[in-house]
Amino acid sequence: MTDGPNLDPFGLARTWMAQWEKLVNEHGTELLAKPEAARAMQALSGAAVQLKAVNDAASGKLLAAANLPSRADFEALGARLGAIEASLARIEQALREVAPDTVPKRPAVARTRQPPSA
Amino acid sequence: MATSFLDSAQSAVERSIQRSLKGLGYMASSAPVLGASAKDVVLSRGPLRLYHYHPLTDEVYRVPVLLVMATTNRGYIFDMIPGQSLVEFLLLRGYDVFMADWEAPRAEDRALGMKDYVEDFVGGSIAEVQRLSGESDVSLVGYCMGGVLSVLWAGLNHVAGPKNLAVFTTPVDFHQMTLFKSMSDQRYFDVDRLVDTLGLAPADMLLTAFDMLRPAGRVASNFQLLDNLWDDDFVKAHRMFDRWSNDMLPLAGEYFRETTKQLVWDNALMAGTMKVSGQPVELDKISAPFLHVTAEHDHIVTTAASAPLIGLIGSADKEQIVLKGGHVSLIAGPNAVNRMWPRLDTWLGAKSV
Repeated sequence: MTDGPNLDPFGLARTWMAQWEKLVNEHGTELLAKPEAARAMQALSGAAVQLKAVNDAASGKLLAAANLPSRADFEALGARLGAIEASLARIEQALREVAPDTVPKRPAVARTRQPPSA
Repeated sequence: MATSFLDSAQSAVERSIQRSLKGLGYMASSAPVLGASAKDVVLSRGPLRLYHYHPLTDEVYRVPVLLVMATTNRGYIFDMIPGQSLVEFLLLRGYDVFMADWEAPRAEDRALGMKDYVEDFVGGSIAEVQRLSGESDVSLVGYCMGGVLSVLWAGLNHVAGPKNLAVFTTPVDFHQMTLFKSMSDQRYFDVDRLVDTLGLAPADMLLTAFDMLRPAGRVASNFQLLDNLWDDDFVKAHRMFDRWSNDMLPLAGEYFRETTKQLVWDNALMAGTMKVSGQPVELDKISAPFLHVTAEHDHIVTTAASAPLIGLIGSADKEQIVLKGGHVSLIAGPNAVNRMWPRLDTWLGAKSV
C-alpha cells in the first residue's frame, strides 16, 4: 500500500527548504567558527564603531556651532533626571517606612498552601 | 485510491485558499497582547523592573518565587498569553510570583556593571520580595543569563542564600559556546573600544550574534509561516515567539565588558576564579536545593556549556533534568506546558511550604 499522490504545492518546497536550512546552518556555523571569519567580522564592526565615533565628534561640533544641544548634552540631562528619580525613590522608601501606605492594599492571601500530595 | 486522491486534492486546495485569505488577515491584524497577567511594578531601578503578580488562588505557598529574566530579552516570554504563561501556571498552582524583568538600559546606565546586576538588581529584588511577603525565604528561578545572575548571587550569599535555586539553560563553561567564543575572539574583538565608544552594547549587534548561531533560521522561519498560514494556532505561536526573539535589549556597557572579559574570555565561572566587586563567587558553598533544567537541542547554550554547572554547585540536594526542546521551547510553548512546567511545580511545590 502506498500513500496517495502529494498534491500540496508546498510539499516539494518544504523538503527543499529543510535540506537547505540544514546545509546552510551546518556550513555557516563551521565557517563562522574559523578565526578568519571572526577577524573579518570584527574588522567590519570595528570600522563601524570607528565611523560612529568620528561621526559623533563631527556632529557634536556642528551642533555646538549651531548652539544646539548634542547627544552628550541630552545624556547628561538624562543622567540628572535619573539621579532625581533615584532621590525620589529613596524618599518614597523612607516615607513608606515611617508612614502607612496611602494606597488601598489588596487583601493578603494566606501563605498556608500545601503541595497536592501532602 | 480515487477517494484518497480526491481527499488529498481537496485538502491541498483548501489550504491554498486559507493561506491566501489568512495571509491578508495576518498583514492587517494587530499582534497579540503579551505579558498581560495582572501585576504591580514594586521596584524600578535603572533597567530593572520588579513585578509582583496578583495571586489567583485563595492561599499561596509560604515561600515566594522570584523569576529572574535573561538580561538580553524581555520577561514576557514567561507570560505570553493565557494558557501559555508560566507566570499564570505558577499562580494557578498557588505560588506567590515575582519577576525581575528588564527595560533597555539608558545611555546614563552605561556604567552599570556585574556588581550592580548581581547585588543591586538581583539582591535588591530579593530584599523587596522579602519585605513585601514578610518571608525571609525566597525561591530563585533564573533563565539563561538570569540563571547566571542568580547563581552568582547565590555564590556570593551562600550563608543567607535562596531557599531554593532553580535555573534553566544556564551556561557555566563559556568556552564550550564555541560560536560566541569565536565571535568575541580576544585577538580580534576590541570590547573596550566598543563600550568606550558606544556606551551600550547595541541590541541589533546582539540580535545579529544570536542569528548567526543559525544562519538559515530566519529565512526558514518565514517559510514555515507561509507554509502554515492556514493554521491559526501555528500563526499565533509564530507571532508571539517572533516578536519576542526580535525584541532584544541592549546591554549596559560595563556589564557587557565584564561579561565578555570574565565569563567568556577567562571562563572564570568554570575556573572557579569569578569575583564580583572583589568577592569570590563560591558555587561549592551553595547549599540550597538546586535544580538545573537544560534542553536537549539548545543551540544557544549547548549541553557542553551548561552541563558542568551541577558539578560545581555544593548542594547535597541537587538535580539536573535534560528535556526535549530548544533554548526557548524549553520554557514557553506547548513543549514547556507539557514537560518543563509540571516538573518545576513538582520540584518546587514540596520545597515551598
